[in-house]
Amino acid sequence: MKYLIFFLAAPLFLGIAVTTSAETTLKKIDKSGTLVIGTRTGSPPFAYVNKNNEWVGFSIDLVEKAILPALNKKLNKQIKLEKKESAPATRIPLLTSNAVDLIAETMTDTQSRRDSVDFSLTFFATGAQFLVKKGSPIKGIQTIAGKRVAAQQGSTNARIIRERAPSAKLLEFPDQPAAFQALAQGQVQAYTNDGIQLAGLKAKAPKPEEWAVVGEFFSYEPYGMALRKGDSDFRQVVNVGLMDAIESGKYFEIYDKWFGPKGEVPYPLAPETKRFLQMQVVPK
Amino acid sequence: MSYTFNWSILWTGQSGGWLLQGLFTTIEISILAWWIAVVLGIGSGAMRTVPVVPLRWAAAAYVEFFRNVPLLVWMFFWYFAVPPLLPDAVREWLFDHGAEFWAALCALGVYHGARFSEVIRAGIQAIPKTQFEAAVSTGLTVTQAYRLIILPIALRLIIPPATNESLNLLKNSSVALTIGVAELTFQTRQIETYTAKAFEALASGTVIYLLLCLTIAALMAQVERRYAIPGMIAQGAVGEN
Repeated sequence: MKYLIFFLAAPLFLGIAVTTSAETTLKKIDKSGTLVIGTRTGSPPFAYVNKNNEWVGFSIDLVEKAILPALNKKLNKQIKLEKKESAPATRIPLLTSNAVDLIAETMTDTQSRRDSVDFSLTFFATGAQFLVKKGSPIKGIQTIAGKRVAAQQGSTNARIIRERAPSAKLLEFPDQPAAFQALAQGQVQAYTNDGIQLAGLKAKAPKPEEWAVVGEFFSYEPYGMALRKGDSDFRQVVNVGLMDAIESGKYFEIYDKWFGPKGEVPYPLAPETKRFLQMQVVPK
Repeated sequence: MSYTFNWSILWTGQSGGWLLQGLFTTIEISILAWWIAVVLGIGSGAMRTVPVVPLRWAAAAYVEFFRNVPLLVWMFFWYFAVPPLLPDAVREWLFDHGAEFWAALCALGVYHGARFSEVIRAGIQAIPKTQFEAAVSTGLTVTQAYRLIILPIALRLIIPPATNESLNLLKNSSVALTIGVAELTFQTRQIETYTAKAFEALASGTVIYLLLCLTIAALMAQVERRYAIPGMIAQGAVGEN
């Protein structure tokens, strides 16, 4: 019986062992000379592996061109970037276990997530829609009752579908490629995710003209970069990097590279979104 | 930066219901897959030892093909590659009736069947060849010899490795979450993404799997005690006879 209790308690000890290191993130980065980010491999154009087998994207560019320079300046040395794969279900544990220092992908800032992690400024804003075969009867969240709908496990959209369209048959997949495959083969009739990601998926599909992104935004999804809770010095560096990039216009250059008319996924920046980004910049 | 534990997330809100649902799905898929695996395993394991060459080849091909490809690949195979081969009406019906569950069941059952097969074969080969010869010399056909003599002895010999395989099967059922089956691991991840409490959610999953496995091990130990052939499986220190 004594042993049984030990075994039952083991995961608990493990949990404590990895989370109580008191070192701040900035000290950790200074010591290792590396910033470790958790990011995606299948979410174009935010973070994905492109045709040349390079791991790139808008979120990764923001880290490389806005946050790394701020970090270099703060620590007064060249910091290297290391990328690790994260998914909705793993990204918070990756952060809290110190495996990564920053989540830079397509993570929506929410109040309940703020109980466990902190977020940077909002660096992109979008909302949930549906990806369907062209000509599908599904036109938005009002028309999905009784239909088979795929979502990404752990996403905010899955939660909303569950609440607002309980009769839809929701099927959740751990990653985007599996969900898209299920849509392509007919296991599901629609795939819901943030509109911009669906636009990215459509642009990357073998035959983009066969797919349509439909429906009004049925959620508000402000993307932020997640950090460990209570580490305000590191958060400050990340935010300063983003603010400088927005103020200097570098952010909009990067935006144009990925979402401009010649970008991977053309998605013009709405004037109010631009204004919103600029208003997040506080004076020096 | 220390982590504050909040165990109450496991029973407040929907978490408790999700865990129970996940537990039932895990048990359901494991039991069904176990039967598939045992039937396929006994069949092909016996075929690998019979004196008919084509049967031996067929069984060996099945075992080597299925056990040497990762289970994850089989999950995707049954879910994504098999449905397009079915007639449209059947496929639509399946998609409306939990295709992911049936695909995962096939993947798990057929994969573990190949692994059970090796356990059964080992059991049969542990029986002295003279036993089979004696059976046949009394006038039994090969089929009768297997059904009445060889298999009953082999099944009683392989209880310890079969326990092992059964535990593996239960734990491998968690791979089904990759094709959207809402089993136990899926639900612990669900709780974690809703509450952002990773350690509590994973710890609850760990404890449930541990209890399930300990229960199976205890049951199989009972079966072993009841059915072991004296002198043929060592029963710890006291079992000497």
